[in-house]
Amino acid sequence: MEREKVIEVKDLVKRFGAFTANDRLTFDVYRGEIFGFLGANGAGKTTAMRILCGLSRPTSGRVLVAGIDASRRPEEIKKRIGYMSQRFSLYEDLTVRENIELYGGIYGMAMKEILPRREALLERLDFTSYGDTLIRALPLGLKQKLAFAVAVFHDPGIVFLDEPTSGVDPVTRRQFWEMIYETASRGITVFVTTHYMDEAEYCDRITIMSEGRIVALDTPSALLRQYGTKSVEELFVKIARPQRNTV
Amino acid sequence: MRKLIFLLRKEFRQIRRNPFMIRAIIGVPILQMLILVPAVTFEVKRIDLAVIDSDRSQASRELVSKLTGSSFFVVTAIPGSIREAESMLFSGDADMALVIPSDFSEGLSGVTRPRLQVLVDAVNATSAQLSWSYLVSVVRDFNREVVLNKGMVTAASPGGIIASPGGMAMSSGSLPGLSVSPRYWYNPTLNYKYYMLPGVLVILITAIGLMMSGLNLVREKESGTIEQINVTPVMKWELIASKVIPFFIIGLIDLALGLSIGWVAFNIPFEGSLLLFFACAAIFLVAVLGVALFFSTMASTQQQFLFVAFFFVMIFILMSGIFTPTESMPLWAQQFNWVNPVAYLMRINRMVMLKGSGFQDIAADMGMLAMLAVAFLALAIWAYRKRA
Repeated sequence: MEREKVIEVKDLVKRFGAFTANDRLTFDVYRGEIFGFLGANGAGKTTAMRILCGLSRPTSGRVLVAGIDASRRPEEIKKRIGYMSQRFSLYEDLTVRENIELYGGIYGMAMKEILPRREALLERLDFTSYGDTLIRALPLGLKQKLAFAVAVFHDPGIVFLDEPTSGVDPVTRRQFWEMIYETASRGITVFVTTHYMDEAEYCDRITIMSEGRIVALDTPSALLRQYGTKSVEELFVKIARPQRNTV
Repeated sequence: MRKLIFLLRKEFRQIRRNPFMIRAIIGVPILQMLILVPAVTFEVKRIDLAVIDSDRSQASRELVSKLTGSSFFVVTAIPGSIREAESMLFSGDADMALVIPSDFSEGLSGVTRPRLQVLVDAVNATSAQLSWSYLVSVVRDFNREVVLNKGMVTAASPGGIIASPGGMAMSSGSLPGLSVSPRYWYNPTLNYKYYMLPGVLVILITAIGLMMSGLNLVREKESGTIEQINVTPVMKWELIASKVIPFFIIGLIDLALGLSIGWVAFNIPFEGSLLLFFACAAIFLVAVLGVALFFSTMASTQQQFLFVAFFFVMIFILMSGIFTPTESMPLWAQQFNWVNPVAYLMRINRMVMLKGSGFQDIAADMGMLAMLAVAFLALAIWAYRKRA
């Protein structure tokens, strides 16, 4: 079966002055999959993701997201994606309901469309009692879950999650991944960066980045087989390290 | 357009929830009007006078009591020598020293004209000149009384004293043949507060508009929320409009508050049209908000923004003609004022409030202000980057 490509990246290069953050990245992402971007801090994951989201301009290379050229028409891409940044970025001085309403509204939804969906969402997340709580009063785990829910509230084709689980406890991480699965099952493609290697095993396919380059790309099980390692962590140490030594 | 309404609702909710903002919106106009209007003045109300009376006569005492009776002069010291008087000027204990020579009363009754010496601390040239002219007018009065008492009203003998600042001699004795009595228009009592208040209102809305809106956008950059907005399909103009409109409204509210305080506390006259006054302020606010958002688009931290904004606010205000007429500034400064929105409103406010100028009188200034408003707002929208 021919799978539909929702992201196509070919020879993507991003330089900041003399520093090359992304060095000739090439990969495709298919509709409905959970695509993991792994790498140490500073490997270039966030840079690549920001280019895909239209937040940063590529230096060269071809980037198509939902069939749209990211260097020429980033605003068109923004209508079709959701994004959860590494820094928590809901408004701390607005309530849960107000944040959902705001983002629904700026993605073009009407109030009468937002209201029932918002209440259904709060119900589903078991958040109803927090509806009128200011974000700043919520514990981090709940904030992260809410940020994710807001990122997919307008039903985007693709959602980008930048280190969504950093700093949250293992139980919440577990719940967070359940939300990711649930989202993918609705047909939304999930593009997620992480530096937790155990999370990589939840992904359909993973890309390992090191020093701005892609050093491996396949399903987790295929990669483990290929390199003869038992865990992704072991795999990561094995293939990401030698690169570092050659620099 | 619908997106803008959601963004505006968000801004107003945030402002309403921020206790500092509420306090600033109400407190700043009250403090600024009550402090700046009476405090910022060039009037010289009290001159500390050091008197060296070498004559010690009835006439010299009369002269001194005439000076102190004028409410401007207060004798704060009676130095023994000129040297001592000089050191008092130097230390600031006296603003002016008056030296009455020992032949003062003798000269008054005779033909030799007595010479007074006056030393003035002229670090502040304006107040030195004012002090000097107060002194001269008191001495002239004194002169006239002397001359009248002696029945010496003849053209041939002008008589009287010569008062000289420093060493320069200046005749102040002649009796005028005709009297000139000025009638001051637009501010008949020469009340300095009436002159300053329209200007203080301009400072008020400049500060409110520039600081509040600029800081708001940079704060969103610092907290990272702006990135979440940048990744949405919101248009740049919608985002800038959502930052302009709330502070535009706040600026107009504060202007109304400031003006009310002017009425209640200072009884300021308002000759012109309120509608015209607020229309000009509205155009001005758009220009200032454009400047603020342009700066905050360029800045990445609140400190950076504050530094740049503070610097420009100072320049805008000092060059606007609030203290000194722009016409007496050097040509380049007058040319700079073509792009200084504060200069336009400074002029407009005084004309509308004090002279009752109508639309025709200020149309040119209003037009320029409108052009600046469009230009600065366009600049802010253009400079805003949704992607790095």
